[in-house]
Amino acid sequence: MPRLLDLLREGPISVNLGLVEFAEALEAQAAPVIHVDWTPPPLLDEETKSILDELL
Amino acid sequence: MKTWQTAFERNRYYDSVFLMAVAHRLSDHEGIEEAVAVMGSPANKNILLDMGVEAASVADASPNDLIIALCGDQEVVAGVLQDIEEWLVRPKTALATSTAVSLDEALSRQSTSNLAVISVPGEYAAAETEAALDRGMNVFLFSDHVSVEDEVALKKKASEQGLIVMGPDCGTALIGGKGIGFANSVRRGTIGVVAASGTGLQEFTCLVHQSGLGISHGLGTGGRDLSNSVGGLSTLAAIDALEEDPETKVIAIVSKPPGEATLRVISERLSQCAKPVVACFLGVSAGPDEQASFEVCGTIDDAVSAALRLAGSQGGEEEVHNHSQLELLARDEAGRMAAGQKYIRGLFAGGTFCYQSQSVLRDAGVALHSNAPLEGVKLLGDTAASAGHSLVDMGADEFTVGTPHPMIDATQRSRRITVEAEDPDVAVLLLDFILGFNSSKDPAGDLGDAISSASRTAEAAGRHLSVVASVCGTDEDPQGLENQMEVLRDVGAHVFASNVKASSFARDIILQRTKGGE
Repeated sequence: MPRLLDLLREGPISVNLGLVEFAEALEAQAAPVIHVDWTPPPLLDEETKSILDELL
Repeated sequence: MKTWQTAFERNRYYDSVFLMAVAHRLSDHEGIEEAVAVMGSPANKNILLDMGVEAASVADASPNDLIIALCGDQEVVAGVLQDIEEWLVRPKTALATSTAVSLDEALSRQSTSNLAVISVPGEYAAAETEAALDRGMNVFLFSDHVSVEDEVALKKKASEQGLIVMGPDCGTALIGGKGIGFANSVRRGTIGVVAASGTGLQEFTCLVHQSGLGISHGLGTGGRDLSNSVGGLSTLAAIDALEEDPETKVIAIVSKPPGEATLRVISERLSQCAKPVVACFLGVSAGPDEQASFEVCGTIDDAVSAALRLAGSQGGEEEVHNHSQLELLARDEAGRMAAGQKYIRGLFAGGTFCYQSQSVLRDAGVALHSNAPLEGVKLLGDTAASAGHSLVDMGADEFTVGTPHPMIDATQRSRRITVEAEDPDVAVLLLDFILGFNSSKDPAGDLGDAISSASRTAEAAGRHLSVVASVCGTDEDPQGLENQMEVLRDVGAHVFASNVKASSFARDIILQRTKGGE
């Protein structure tokens, strides 16, 4: 069964990335939500990137 | 030429809504003429350069760095920049649940999560959406500036997993009675909606609520979904789901007219749907095939009426004013005006409302200009100044770079109302007010003073200015529909519960004043 149907059946159980106001509005409607304190990924120079790529 | 002073903070990320609020507060500070607070993305740096900020002062800023640019009294500006930390204190969040530092931490705490709500800057949105899909979550993608290639790839990935990507640039969804993004508090019921536009979905669901029926689910798709490049991938996923959903008895689709190839695909799918379907392709009065087994409507109001009928409603509440009363009222308004007053000026917060109003007026032969013109409407060359009959989408990109959307902040619309009221040729101001979660706490009150003052300006010059307003909302919204309507009536506006009704009334006044709309 498509997982979109699970969303319709269960209602939104959300993870919010970005504007905290969206999470606050969901919480005000008694909809479960966890807000992620999102920040952009750090900018890496080419050397660090290639080291990380090798490690991962 | 303005002299800007700038400061930037390394690796200090703030979201755009917070930064716009900071810039707003800074520009209200005595001695500061203009203030900008943005992250140092290439697009934002270009905007700053266009504004006259020195290239050298922002050259080193990266997308992870905060840039503050101020102009005004040099001493005041220097003092503010020195104490900028004080301006960057966030108000305490109202959230009861503690925040997580990553998607994975959030999922470890709430393993049943079925939806990622994503509103990060556009350049990071595709990666976050992919990460959410990889973890089996549906996505509500509010972010814009996602490439069409990324959109197609993400939607195909979602489709393979039985998931949906609502967006990019998706403003509204309503799932199981819970509003996501800019949504209203709407009664649950049996009508399911799929909509490409946020305000279109809001208007449809609010009008259903006001009729006494309710909504099972409202799924957004993003404005590009029905283009030929995307091919309706999310619309098709939403139709499949609503067809299977036991709560949904009637399905409605609300969108601008789809691309030709996509229209064929969607039409074929709808004609095979096991449930009754209403398709509202704004501005299109007849479908591609008059023999089609689904209804095609040209306005949201008509689509709501059709959906209510299909859902078994015996008819909505009586209209407060019937047609002939409204015609008399329009004639009376037109009769109070001075010679030369002939133009309509529409200032919209909702893009769909601007679009739909153009359709109503254009079809009556009114020669319109707009910054977001539909077929048969001239492009408004200078969006900062109206020309003839003008309908302006003030939520369009050119108005919202570095400043909040008019659904959140009325400053720009308020200023524009003042300008329009001084024009002796203006007969009608047409406005929309959008209630619901995440909108301004008092949309009508925000513009009340500007409307009163506009009426007084016209009156002092021997004119009568008609202010016509539509309010999109419900009695259960945080702002309260009746309360907001009352605020507008108190300042002399003619208030309607739908954009089509307001546009039709405004049209009737204009036709009286112009005898044909030219």
